[in-house]
Amino acid sequence: MSAADISTEPTRRPFTGRRVRFGDVSLQLVAGAAALGVTVLVGLIVWKIVDGSRLAIVKNGWAFLIRVAWNPVPGRELYGAASFLFGTVLTSFGALLIAAPLSIGVALFLTELAPRVIQGPVTALVETLAAVPSVLIGLWGIYVLGPVLRTSIESWLHTVFGFIPLFGDPSAAGASIFTAIIVLTIMILPIVSSISRELFREVPSELKEGALALGTTRWEMVRGVIFPYARGGIAAALILGLSRAMGEAIAVTQVVGGSPTIQWNLFSTGDTLASKIAAAYQGAVTSLQLSSLIYLGLVLLVFSLLANLVAQWIVRRVARKHGVTRGGHV
Amino acid sequence: MPKLGTSIRIVSAVAAAALLAVVVAGTAGARPAKSAGATISGAGSTFVAPLVFQWQAAVGGALGDTLNYASVGSGAGITQITARTVDFGASDAPLSADQFTACNGCEQIPWALGGTAIMYNLPGVKNLLHMDGPTLAKIFFGQITKWNDPAIAKLNKGVTLPDTAITIAHRSDGSGTTYNLVDYLSHVSAAWNSQIGTATAVNWPVGVGAKGSSGVTAVVTSTPGAIGYADVAYSLANHVKYFAMKNNSGKFTTPGSRGILAAALSDPKPAADNSLSIVNPPKKFDNAYPISTFTYVIVPLQTSKAADLKKFIFWAVTQGQKGTYTAKLRFVPLPKPVLVVAEKAIAKIHS
Repeated sequence: MSAADISTEPTRRPFTGRRVRFGDVSLQLVAGAAALGVTVLVGLIVWKIVDGSRLAIVKNGWAFLIRVAWNPVPGRELYGAASFLFGTVLTSFGALLIAAPLSIGVALFLTELAPRVIQGPVTALVETLAAVPSVLIGLWGIYVLGPVLRTSIESWLHTVFGFIPLFGDPSAAGASIFTAIIVLTIMILPIVSSISRELFREVPSELKEGALALGTTRWEMVRGVIFPYARGGIAAALILGLSRAMGEAIAVTQVVGGSPTIQWNLFSTGDTLASKIAAAYQGAVTSLQLSSLIYLGLVLLVFSLLANLVAQWIVRRVARKHGVTRGGHV
Repeated sequence: MPKLGTSIRIVSAVAAAALLAVVVAGTAGARPAKSAGATISGAGSTFVAPLVFQWQAAVGGALGDTLNYASVGSGAGITQITARTVDFGASDAPLSADQFTACNGCEQIPWALGGTAIMYNLPGVKNLLHMDGPTLAKIFFGQITKWNDPAIAKLNKGVTLPDTAITIAHRSDGSGTTYNLVDYLSHVSAAWNSQIGTATAVNWPVGVGAKGSSGVTAVVTSTPGAIGYADVAYSLANHVKYFAMKNNSGKFTTPGSRGILAAALSDPKPAADNSLSIVNPPKKFDNAYPISTFTYVIVPLQTSKAADLKKFIFWAVTQGQKGTYTAKLRFVPLPKPVLVVAEKAIAKIHS
């Protein structure tokens, strides 16, 4: 449709008509109010966070970002965000690293490979996984997953890959950065796989069948047709998963072991920004501690925003390079 | 096109109706359910919350008042009473001098008494294990790392202790239970007092942090060799073993009502701010369990709700201490001398 078409089409200019239509006006008002409401809300949240962390910013300044400390004892108070930022990066990217191939695999299986009989039930199960409350996953993490990881997986990884600092001595209790990574993986897997499934389903069957007719194997078809078609969308799904992992608080609090330290060993205890806020906010006694916790929130906000922007930039670059057409909207 | 207009009209009509419903419901909800008594609102300690919730129904019956309590943590309770957004706050740790100044004309009244159990999980050892303060401090410092350490073995003669590593489980959130424990450790260990200190949350030298008593108990029960802490009711409900603690008379006591009450009697004279310190009581209280604590209600001295507030707190420290409310939760009724202190403090509230 050309620009001329738009300008001459009468329905495009509802307010210049003979009468003002109630439905159109109310739609305009309701939709406008909703958009304005969200904008105002985000603005208020950001303002409140900046305002709340003012005391901590004044007392600590930028040193807060690189300091490894969390001592809430009145008279000895010292706070820093470095260990929590480290934990957030390690757990969220770790989870993404495991969840990405798994969830794309699940989506491929469900759209391309699975017989119809099991397609339905498995899809429903994956969807159900997304509906499990995070506090339940955390509980399961500490009672079931943690002990299993500690007694079998961690010791095995340590024996085989012990030369890599990441796989140090197995954890003492089930709570560790590693447990948090696995819990987060479970939480972002259904998100990424559901979106990927929808994307794969959108690939026109003529393209797929055409590729197969040309004699490609299934894998070649997936690589040559499905992936390029859905690449941008998958990247968007992964960014969504990453944001979810960064912001998850309760489930991580339950399994991460809450210690404000930086250790490369994945099996040691650690903490994340969101988890620390969730754990300590209610019990914060001094105003400086409260303010420092809100400062952690500000760090999380800025960091997730930056991570999102960088990820989108990468996606756009990749998309341009490969000349991706559809599904490339992020 | 008319079809679209109609549907939009329907949608907006529904939206308007929903909005109206919300507004109506909101106004209705704002009115108290029963207009007979006053509504008293409080916030704070999660430690005392189960007890306050037990009181809620009873207060309605006895005084005709409606009691609202938000279990938001001691710190938030102090913040809210300081801002006067609630009628009373509740805190496990006594207010600091700074907090008193900020609260501007507040007083704290001891209104519940409980103990902290040191839980452990050591499969294969059937005996009730013994522990003393200095050894416990070394364990929480990470200086004692094995169960068969000579210091633990000395306290448990005749028990074969395994070579299992000790894992500490502590609270990752602020907590009155933590305050009680580290207050005790500061009393029995100069090193703890100078390096770590006493607060509702501290910079733990070692261990696994978990949220809430439930989190700590989960780590302890799922980790052989673990040591953690929680209020007594919690460890009993979860069938977790806990140490008999050596007190200053040399006796090993458990956090039962006898031991906690004996400890409570050790400080009959509260400080000017009504705070009482009953951890690590002196030798002559030979039955005392050394990790016991009072928890406090914080009220403004001058308040428009003085009459209702006085009635309620008086009820809480007298009728509210009865076994029907306290026994199941392992709170111990306030001893006489403390009751006298509480009553004097209640009398000071005025409008």
